Amino acid sequence: MTIQETPSPPSLPEEVEEVPGREITLTVNGRPRRVRIEDRQLLVEVVRGQLGLIGTKVGCYNGDCGACTLQVDGEIRKSCLVLAASADGAELTTIEGVGGPDGALDEIQQAFWDNDAFQCGFCLPGHLFATRDLLDADDDPSEQDVRDALVGNLCRCTGYVNLVKAALDAAQRRRTTGTADRRSIEEEGPRPADACTLHRGPRP
Amino acid sequence: MIRTPLRYHRPRTPDEASALLVEHRGDVAVLGGGTQLLPQMNRDQVHVGHLVDLRGLGLRRIEVTDDQVVVEALVTYADVLLSRDLSRAAPHLRRVAHGVTGGRQIRNTGTLAGSACFAMPGSDMPAALVGIDAILRLHGPDGAREVRAADFYVDAFTTVLRPGEFVLAITIPRTAARTGYCKVKHSSGSWPIATATARRLDGSATVTLGSVHATPLHVDVSDLASNGPVDRAALADRVRSALPAPWTDVLAPGDYRARIAGVVAARAFSELEGVPA
Ligand SMILES: Cc1cc2nc3c(=O)[nH]c(=O)nc-3n(C[C@H](O)[C@H](O)[C@H](O)COP(=O)(O)OP(=O)(O)OC[C@H]3O[C@@H](n4cnc5c(N)ncnc54)[C@H](O)[C@@H]3O)c2cc1C
Ligand code: FES
Ligand code: FES
Repeated sequence: MTIQETPSPPSLPEEVEEVPGREITLTVNGRPRRVRIEDRQLLVEVVRGQLGLIGTKVGCYNGDCGACTLQVDGEIRKSCLVLAASADGAELTTIEGVGGPDGALDEIQQAFWDNDAFQCGFCLPGHLFATRDLLDADDDPSEQDVRDALVGNLCRCTGYVNLVKAALDAAQRRRTTGTADRRSIEEEGPRPADACTLHRGPRP
Repeated sequence: MIRTPLRYHRPRTPDEASALLVEHRGDVAVLGGGTQLLPQMNRDQVHVGHLVDLRGLGLRRIEVTDDQVVVEALVTYADVLLSRDLSRAAPHLRRVAHGVTGGRQIRNTGTLAGSACFAMPGSDMPAALVGIDAILRLHGPDGAREVRAADFYVDAFTTVLRPGEFVLAITIPRTAARTGYCKVKHSSGSWPIATATARRLDGSATVTLGSVHATPLHVDVSDLASNGPVDRAALADRVRSALPAPWTDVLAPGDYRARIAGVVAARAFSELEGVPA
């Protein structure tokens, strides 16, 4: 039997090419953070990996499911569609930043809890942020408004009925506790909620 | 995770952007909103070593003047939906942006210019832009030039953009034209199978179909509208004969698209004319 000699490892090229990367600054849930990233990393990978905020989920890496939703400079985004390097300097709110500092649930989270709006919870970043986005713009949405606003977020557990119920209940709670934001209603012109509608024509 | 090495660039001027695109020619892409490009890179369908992000150039303004509307390259669908001035000056853009799916998150991220440049047959923007006589303002190594949307599309996923060139803005002439839009899709969350932009201005009537052909299909039907509404039966015939090679993809075969194209065109005119389909 001949014993084959282990081939020597391929010699490294003279200059080992460095993985392109950089340091970026983010404000994450109100706290300034400096993170070392690779240029090829998606924001969701940095949030979950480097920042350890694993409440943000990955479902599809394709923009379809919404599980990776967070807020970038006040706008909700699917963080699998954002390159981390491109978000340098941004202010992020992740699902961890939604509740109170002591872990208390906000009104929307409480309404989701009370209405059995979820089972595994994987889709919650998308559904909670989309609901919040809607209610910040429109404190008294119709059921169709809610359905339109939740499009773009997939839930594999619930069948959506309780999600819609919970969002309407959250709106009701906000109106009764007076935390509803009426700003946009007093302004004339298109309202942020107009960017959420899908089935009917634009509001006149 | 994007598996191949990638270097990110954020140029500060259009010239710098073009220079980077030329320097890394063949191994570079422009990053707009990233909603098409990043998933493709993540799946290893597109592999480039360099991305040129337009963010450093600003380019998020909507400018409305007496004779045109300028929509810069990084303007998103949500920006369009929230602009009062644009809603008045270019209602068709608002109408189309309104039906883009994927939720508010996508409308906050995807840009009109990105969709225009991706030139995917099964999408809204390319044919909508052709239908309202939009013009693309390009920047390249030899400076700026303008191309009519109607001349921008060469084939599916292919435009006349030359190496080093990118879209700076989309301009839409302000006219008294009236427009209507119709889109057919499988479900609320899916991509278009057929779209139509109907347009009437003075004596002219045109329809521009999207998703039914490799490139937007512009059909003049002025002669079918000489006395009032566009003649629906003649419109269907005209559309069918203009469509010898309908587009096929996973959502629908070409013969289905050919069959519904006339109906979609008629519905777009019904919206425009305010009569039931
Ligand atoms: C869940 C989901 C739902 C969607 N629903 C719809 C829908 O209903 N209808 C529809 O039409 N589309 C839909 N889309 C597609 C969406 O419209 C486009 O993804 C978006 O507008 C593309 O713009 P972007 O800025 O994200 O492009 P990017 O992904 O940044 O770029 C797309 C391509 O264009 C190039 N590019 C981008 N900007 C420029 C520029 N200024 N100059 C030159 N080249 C450029 C890029 O290099 C790339 O090749 C959907 C996408 C997702 C993820
Ligand atoms: S993981 Fe981002 S949308 Fe599904
Ligand atoms: S609760 Fe499981 S996916 Fe929505």
